[in-house]
Amino acid sequence: MNATAFGGKPQEVITPESLLYDAAERIGRIRDGRLALHIHLSRLQPQNREENKVRIAFRMFESMVDIFHGQLFLLTNSDVMLICKDARIADLDGIVYKLKALFSKDPLAFTEDDDNGFATFYDLTVRYDDFLEVAAQMVAEVKKRKAAQQTVPQIQDLDAKSLTRVLSRIGSVDIAGVVRRQPCVRITEDNAAEVMFQEFYMSIADLQKVLAPDVNLLANRWLFQHLSQVLDLKVLSVLQDAGFRKLPTAYSLNLNMATAESPMFDRFLASIRGRAGMFVEFQLADIFSNLDGFFRCRDTLKAKGCGTVLDGMSTITLEFLDAELYDTDYVKVSWSNDMASDVLTANLTDALGPVGFDRVILSRCDSETAIEWGLDLGIRHFQGRYLDSMVSAVTMTKCDKAEACTLQQCTQRHGVISGRPRVDCGNNDMLDAFPSLKAIR
Amino acid sequence: MQNAPPAAGSNASLSQESLLIDYLQRLERHRRDRRCVHIHLSQLQPVNRRDNHMRIAAGAFDSLVKLLQAQAFTLANVDLMVIYKAQVQDEVEAAIVKLRFLFSDDPLVINDGLDRNFCDWFSLDREYEDVIGLAQKMLQEEQARQRAVQERTESEARDNRPRGTPFTPELLVRTEAALFQADLANLMRRQAVCAVVGQSPPQPVFHELFISIADMRQVMMPSVNVASSPWLFQELTETLDRRVLSLLNKHDDRTLEGDISINLNVSTILSPDFLTFDDNIKAGARGTIVLELQKVDIFADLGAYLFARDFAHDRGYRICIDGLTYSMLPFVNRERLGADLIKLVWENSLLDEKDKKTDALRRIGVTRIILCRCDAPGAIEYGHSVGITLFQGRHIETLLAEEARRRGTARSNQKR
Repeated sequence: MNATAFGGKPQEVITPESLLYDAAERIGRIRDGRLALHIHLSRLQPQNREENKVRIAFRMFESMVDIFHGQLFLLTNSDVMLICKDARIADLDGIVYKLKALFSKDPLAFTEDDDNGFATFYDLTVRYDDFLEVAAQMVAEVKKRKAAQQTVPQIQDLDAKSLTRVLSRIGSVDIAGVVRRQPCVRITEDNAAEVMFQEFYMSIADLQKVLAPDVNLLANRWLFQHLSQVLDLKVLSVLQDAGFRKLPTAYSLNLNMATAESPMFDRFLASIRGRAGMFVEFQLADIFSNLDGFFRCRDTLKAKGCGTVLDGMSTITLEFLDAELYDTDYVKVSWSNDMASDVLTANLTDALGPVGFDRVILSRCDSETAIEWGLDLGIRHFQGRYLDSMVSAVTMTKCDKAEACTLQQCTQRHGVISGRPRVDCGNNDMLDAFPSLKAIR
Repeated sequence: MQNAPPAAGSNASLSQESLLIDYLQRLERHRRDRRCVHIHLSQLQPVNRRDNHMRIAAGAFDSLVKLLQAQAFTLANVDLMVIYKAQVQDEVEAAIVKLRFLFSDDPLVINDGLDRNFCDWFSLDREYEDVIGLAQKMLQEEQARQRAVQERTESEARDNRPRGTPFTPELLVRTEAALFQADLANLMRRQAVCAVVGQSPPQPVFHELFISIADMRQVMMPSVNVASSPWLFQELTETLDRRVLSLLNKHDDRTLEGDISINLNVSTILSPDFLTFDDNIKAGARGTIVLELQKVDIFADLGAYLFARDFAHDRGYRICIDGLTYSMLPFVNRERLGADLIKLVWENSLLDEKDKKTDALRRIGVTRIILCRCDAPGAIEYGHSVGITLFQGRHIETLLAEEARRRGTARSNQKR
């Protein structure tokens, strides 16, 4: 039943979309000389259309278009719509340009494609029907989304109170079940490929499912960092008891400095001494929380025979810092498709030159393009889904149980260290072997 | 000259204690009809011992000092010693009444005369030796304190073991709740960033408004070792941000007058609280506002920083990167980060390998550097030698106070 308590006709829920549609309808008779401007913030990358950023963009837009006395709508999907009279397209163009500058790091800001661009203009004198249709579509979409949302449980952001709860629950959760591993592959001069290290990390999405399905653990950066210090110790303890058939050539772990300086870390190191190498990966947030501490920690690790990795570099971070100054053994750069452009390739060549390309690890490689781009630059170390499949494919050529499995299954089983997928594999020896590959090109 | 004020400048390295002794010795033959009052400001609660309180307290005797009827000494422990002529006893007592009023909510004033006194009175005629003895004792105490501070700094440099209860999320929950109830106005501090050029007195360019973390700790969680979890502490600063913004949003004080700077997290700049603050600022058409950011916050999410920076610049704010030491400069590139200013922490080691460091600072742009934590005249000397003109710190506050007093004297001389 959709009727109201007073038995009247079904009440329409008022949404920004329904208000927009009403406005669009009303304007039908007086459409001459009116313009509509649609800003497609919904087309931004997820991290660029966070609530806070959209709110600020809307506010800036609002103050700039104030003089046109138009009607302004902030829609549910973060898009912004302006309907106004007597504005010159050139003025609005200038405003769109300024707003775009705020998102200059998003691919949307430099897309040339009119149909998928940052903004759309409607001259309502001639394109009124198109505009009304867009408004109608938005009403329909938001209705659909609202209906879908009702079945999704409410998730709250991590705060100090929920962190206390989360921390108290950690002890009762199967941490090994959410630890993932991914090989870092070195491609040698003669085009052979070998695994340099296996990186072990926690799948935060899976951790959230088992630990606190009602809390968004990543919603608060600082509290998550605190949580990660506790999780670091759990990962170390899980790995010590993992029972691999063959130890990795080397482990690589993303650790807080505090963890790398803890007795627990030393115990872990002692447990693998002489049998496996160790790399520690550092995040910028942690490094900048204590720069002097970072240099001390890095030197101590080197003295203990551990390798160090500066993690999380991207086209953006490399624009603002000199990666070679951190003097780690490796610098890990995340691959993204836009890197293949001439401009970014040139920028990255300049930024990574002083590091030395043989000390760069290209991560998140999900295609052959990534590998080829890297090899062209002189990069030898790669990580990512594409390499995961490659390792599985090589494994399957050597595994006597391979007939029973698909490549996808093999990759999934490689990615975990315990649980069902690992049990399902008929050959755990091969699963931990990470064999080398003779020639890849 | 009998009543010469303690000389600033040339004798700046001499402590007020030794100046007091010197003054008393010169008075030996003129002690008849002279009196002394020792005001125990050091016994006040910390919240009442802020720099501006001390300035007001010393200022209470300004008119008598100007009329050459009295001489005031602000000692290192912030106690005030006033030597005056007996004929102005009433005026001195009136000034003390003002001070009692200023600190009327302080236990020292409320319980005055019970277990300790707000002030002690002396007649130099009869108690000259006592006063000299008191002054000497205070000089010794001050010297001992200086030595202890030095030793402590040295031993702390060697020993960085954490002290106190560890900072936990439970404590954070409680502290955050307390912050929402506490009257933070008490903990709000103000320190000037000044242009100092040549020998001319400091000219305030803007005032930094901040919550004294040390005082807040003392009030809210005295036994907690905040440093034991830097991340929880960072989270606490975000709560503080919101409290400071809401404090500044109140229109009932004059805190926002003039050009100011405030410390904020990037995420706070992107929050609704800041938009509200921004609306209020625009409504009041205030002066320039500088937003001070921490490097960890900038590098934890460069994307968010860039967004916040562009937004802030669009709205007319300036961005300053706070608390950089010389060794951090290669890692925090002001120009590339598009920040307007940086704060460079004054430290004696800046004098080592001076030419190399000067070159590095000139490359950054000396006009973009505020030399902060200047607690000794050497900081200004150094700054000037490399071309820095913006300064902040305790020493600058002292110079400002001296200048205010000097100007006051000059004005009253003109009147006469």
